[in-house]
Amino acid sequence: MSEITPNPAPNQAPVPSPKPAAKPAEMSRGDFLWAGWGMLAAFFAASAAAGARFMFPNVIYEPSQKFNAGQASSYDLGVSTKWLNEQRVWIVRTPSGFYAMWARCTHLGCTPNWWGDQNRFKCPCHGSNYTLDGDVIAGPAPMPLWRAKVELAPTGDLIVDKAVLENKPGKREDAPYFASYAAA
Amino acid sequence: MSYRKAFIVSNALMLAAFVWAFAKDFNAEWRPYQKKYYQLAADALEKKGLKDEARRMRRSPVEIKQIIAGDLGRFDRCVTCHVGMDEYVNPTLKNDFAENPYKSHPKVDAALVKAHPFTKFGCTSCHSGQGLATSVDAAHGWVKHWEKPMLKGVHIQGSCVKCHGNFETLKGAEAAALGKKAFNRQGCQGCHMINGFGGTTSVPLDDIADKPFERIAGYNFKRVQIDGKELRDEHHDSHWNIQNWILGHLLNDPAEVTPNDPFAHLNAEPIPPSGMPDFRGEISRSEADAIVAYLSGMTKEEVVPYRYHVPAPPAREPRLSGTARGRYVFAKYGCQGCHGLDAKQGRRRFNAAGDGQKEYDDTLPEAEQFAQMNLGAEPTLPNLVGTYTHEELVKKIQNGVPAADAKKWSPKGPLPMVTMPSWKDKISKSELDDLAAWLLSIAKKDDSGF
Amino acid sequence: MPALDLETIKKEIIDSQLWRSVFRGGVWKDTPRDRAGHIIGNVWLHLHPVKVRPRALEWAYTWGMGGISFALYLLLTLTGVALMFYYRPTIGLAYRDIKDLEFAVTLGMFLRNAHRWAAQAMVVAVIAHMVRVFLTGAYKKPREFNWGIGVLLLTLTLFLSFTGYLLPWDQLAIWAVTVGTNMAGATPILGNEGPLGSLVGMRINNDVRFTLLGGTMVGENTLLRFYVMHCVAVPLVVGILLILHFWRIRKDSFSAAPYSAAEEKIDVWPHLVKREYIAAAGTVLFIMIWSILQNAPLEAIANPNVTTNPSKAPWYFVGLQELLVYFDPWIAGVAMPGLIIVGLIAIPYIDTNPKGVGYYAWKERPFANALFMLGIVMWFALIYIGYALRGPNYAWYWPWESWYLPKAAPPPTWSVFGPEGVGAYSMLIGIPLLGALSAAWMLLPKLIQRELDGRKAMGGFLAAVAALAVAGVALGRMGAAEGGFLLFFLGASFYFGFVLPQRHIRTLDWPRYLVTMVLVVSTMSVLLKMCARLAFNIKYVLTIPSINMNI
Repeated sequence: MSEITPNPAPNQAPVPSPKPAAKPAEMSRGDFLWAGWGMLAAFFAASAAAGARFMFPNVIYEPSQKFNAGQASSYDLGVSTKWLNEQRVWIVRTPSGFYAMWARCTHLGCTPNWWGDQNRFKCPCHGSNYTLDGDVIAGPAPMPLWRAKVELAPTGDLIVDKAVLENKPGKREDAPYFASYAAA
Repeated sequence: MSYRKAFIVSNALMLAAFVWAFAKDFNAEWRPYQKKYYQLAADALEKKGLKDEARRMRRSPVEIKQIIAGDLGRFDRCVTCHVGMDEYVNPTLKNDFAENPYKSHPKVDAALVKAHPFTKFGCTSCHSGQGLATSVDAAHGWVKHWEKPMLKGVHIQGSCVKCHGNFETLKGAEAAALGKKAFNRQGCQGCHMINGFGGTTSVPLDDIADKPFERIAGYNFKRVQIDGKELRDEHHDSHWNIQNWILGHLLNDPAEVTPNDPFAHLNAEPIPPSGMPDFRGEISRSEADAIVAYLSGMTKEEVVPYRYHVPAPPAREPRLSGTARGRYVFAKYGCQGCHGLDAKQGRRRFNAAGDGQKEYDDTLPEAEQFAQMNLGAEPTLPNLVGTYTHEELVKKIQNGVPAADAKKWSPKGPLPMVTMPSWKDKISKSELDDLAAWLLSIAKKDDSGF
Repeated sequence: MPALDLETIKKEIIDSQLWRSVFRGGVWKDTPRDRAGHIIGNVWLHLHPVKVRPRALEWAYTWGMGGISFALYLLLTLTGVALMFYYRPTIGLAYRDIKDLEFAVTLGMFLRNAHRWAAQAMVVAVIAHMVRVFLTGAYKKPREFNWGIGVLLLTLTLFLSFTGYLLPWDQLAIWAVTVGTNMAGATPILGNEGPLGSLVGMRINNDVRFTLLGGTMVGENTLLRFYVMHCVAVPLVVGILLILHFWRIRKDSFSAAPYSAAEEKIDVWPHLVKREYIAAAGTVLFIMIWSILQNAPLEAIANPNVTTNPSKAPWYFVGLQELLVYFDPWIAGVAMPGLIIVGLIAIPYIDTNPKGVGYYAWKERPFANALFMLGIVMWFALIYIGYALRGPNYAWYWPWESWYLPKAAPPPTWSVFGPEGVGAYSMLIGIPLLGALSAAWMLLPKLIQRELDGRKAMGGFLAAVAALAVAGVALGRMGAAEGGFLLFFLGASFYFGFVLPQRHIRTLDWPRYLVTMVLVVSTMSVLLKMCARLAFNIKYVLTIPSINMNI
């Protein structure tokens, strides 16, 4: 134990020491100590929850997942690579409307190329081939290409939202993954 | 209080304080505006019978929205509250709401707005303000330490000037064009250089829009009145900014705005007030605003990428010769800034000896002395140039007149702030000859017998 | 179905293998053995002794400031790590990221506020801790070394604040750091603007300032350097020193003296631990509420071409900034801070007074306490002047004066041993004269072997100064204000620099006596130089322009 050379202040009367040992009630639950621990736990829980929320950024410096692909009437039938570089999306116009295909191979994420002469999307990484609808017809890809949500705005613009995706036949042909557009 | 109680109480308070902090953070100013917008928009859709759209609108996520205009370095969160201007919520960019922040941008179909899509230019490229902010005062720049508040009224046309070198012929930039015209008509360029053209007697204005508050003599704002109203003496309510500082110089007597120390109360030597003339009689209120608009575009801080920049058309000189060209040259270089429009009447030259002044008397009260010093004037050229030959006149304009040559009214007072600068390197010889010829042509014919 | 018995559940939980594997020890019976085990068996608590003296539990003795400093350090680490997730230390992004924290990050503003306010509170807490340790003589044998560590920790606390100041990249940041690092440039020999610096080939791009900035001006490299120092390097050093600090407290035992020879020590668990907890919780609560109510300042984005007016350092450095008004940068910015740090570390080795360890002892240690408190008061008085009484252009504005009132230009200054004063060859006279004066001042108190009557000496001296002042006023060489200045500053210097040393330390051995007197005389010189400037517009007492040496 420690050694202090005592030099007590002459004028200071000894203060009665805080009651030692005899307090067995310390941990009993009759005195609401649990409330203190509970609130401390709640405080930590709240901090942890807020910390988790903190890790979700409210703004990100990426291009919006949503973008305006311009006037629907400006597209010809077939695959348009107009937005491939900026947004990694093919805009496909069919006789009845539009869908937007995300240019990401479902195998391991490379960007396939559109071969108009063969009517196929072909992935350069492992040789997956897709039809115009996005279905796999060759190669290792496990599922069809994803289609993004696409809407026809009242202005006649196509609004594409890459955050909402679908690739199941039967679902992908309906709104909001397909924008009906019948105009000539 | 026992430590046990303190334990419980302190933990309870920590929990409460944390909840308070989170609630404060959650109840950000923008949130109710955005919610209200979705409600209003949904109600409007419902009225049109668009049930599904209305339901979807009502369920829109409440979030901070921003327009990234990376080319121009803008990250504008204005659409967080002004949701009607967010292309993704309101693709038509039109709605029927009359009230801010819900209403849509006016004139979205006008060529001016169409040419500047919000997603590419953001908001602050034109409107100024603090795009990153999400609270009302901070976003509009009505806070301390944000030097560029939202531009009001026609002042916004300064933003056209930043990119459009051809703003003088641009539809929508009429005020800025008028401002430049008025600026040159009054001869401001005689003292203030812009982009390499103009005199060096006073500060260059190439980057006047960037002038930080620290360089604006803060306390002098107290003497500025705009439309008969004093500006509040806090600069964080957006009144103490460069726009009002320029306006203050046009709507007040600059010598009263910046009186300096003509009686050497604070300094060892007297310092004259601002040498800028009082233009109040010659510039209308709307021209003053137009000049502010023009100068609001004088920025070097905001770097405009070259592909956003529209070059100015080549300057064209009118085909004139002789005295007509001389008169044009006089106005071109801003001589009228000091010598008056068409050289008719010299403007104020503080503490110069001149007409109509009392005999100097240092027992006069200071206010009276100040008024007398204020009567000093630049030469009224027609009265003066008659005594010069053509060559002498050219030489005089080329060399200028040093300040020390000034004849002072009060010998104890300061030398005038403004002196005739040397124009040797600025006005070409042929221009000078025509100028001198014109000046001699308007010289008063002396009929006193000399 | 049996009633829900909390005790049984608790026992079940505590006796489970999982709980047992995490927390050591048997069933809690609150015996002294349990309490000791609680301290010894817990890695976080075992730096405590098992028992302490009753006095160590008194708030009036400890002020809780050491613990609070540590709590703040932990809080700063937590909030700082959080902030790092949203901050990028580059000129293009730093300011925008701070704006994002303010406007777009969940709780970002709150965390930034908490970090800023906790940093300021920590400076106060660490200084208060030092004052407490000094006044209770807790630095005396065997704790001299730990006091030195404490002084280093205080210095590092200030350095952490200083490096953190640059990170928001606003006007406050760039100008505080520009001034701060230019002081480094004024270091004698090592700095390009310091005395003798140019003689050894120091230029703007090879001196100590260059190394600190990573360039010749505050720029991209500086921001990155300060970021790394602020977030990694300095906290690491502080952490290591903290471990040492705590370990030495444990080994040297806590300073509190016993009230009586027979007193019994008291269990640390729970008596000390619960006090520590309350102090920490109160600190956290205080910082939280402060952060909710008051936002941390953020000025306009850094602009190397425009200095804010007035431009002030963070408050804890404003005292230094005020000193810079009176002294050349190498004195105020390098020599004096260095002397303060070294002097503080030296205190335990020169204070041989065996009394007053572990309790407040004003009467038993009049000299040490008076001098130390004078230093602290001067430090805070300078901070007050710099913070509250300096307005635009760093002119003197009384609190009731508007900053929009233009002030008269300051009068021209002159130097005593310089061209405007004594004239040519001034240094040939000035150096020996100043040297002789300081030597005499330092030696005199010890050479007078008999204890003088302090009251009489003081009275005599003040009468002489008053006579001088009256003569000066009568001759028109000074005004009444100048006379007052003279009386106050000379009086204070005489009392603290002569009367007190003469009474209390003339019996000290020579080496300790001389070190003490160096500290005393330099402290008094600050007062005298302030008087010389404020009352008589003296710029330098001695100037040697050829080697950039001005005093």
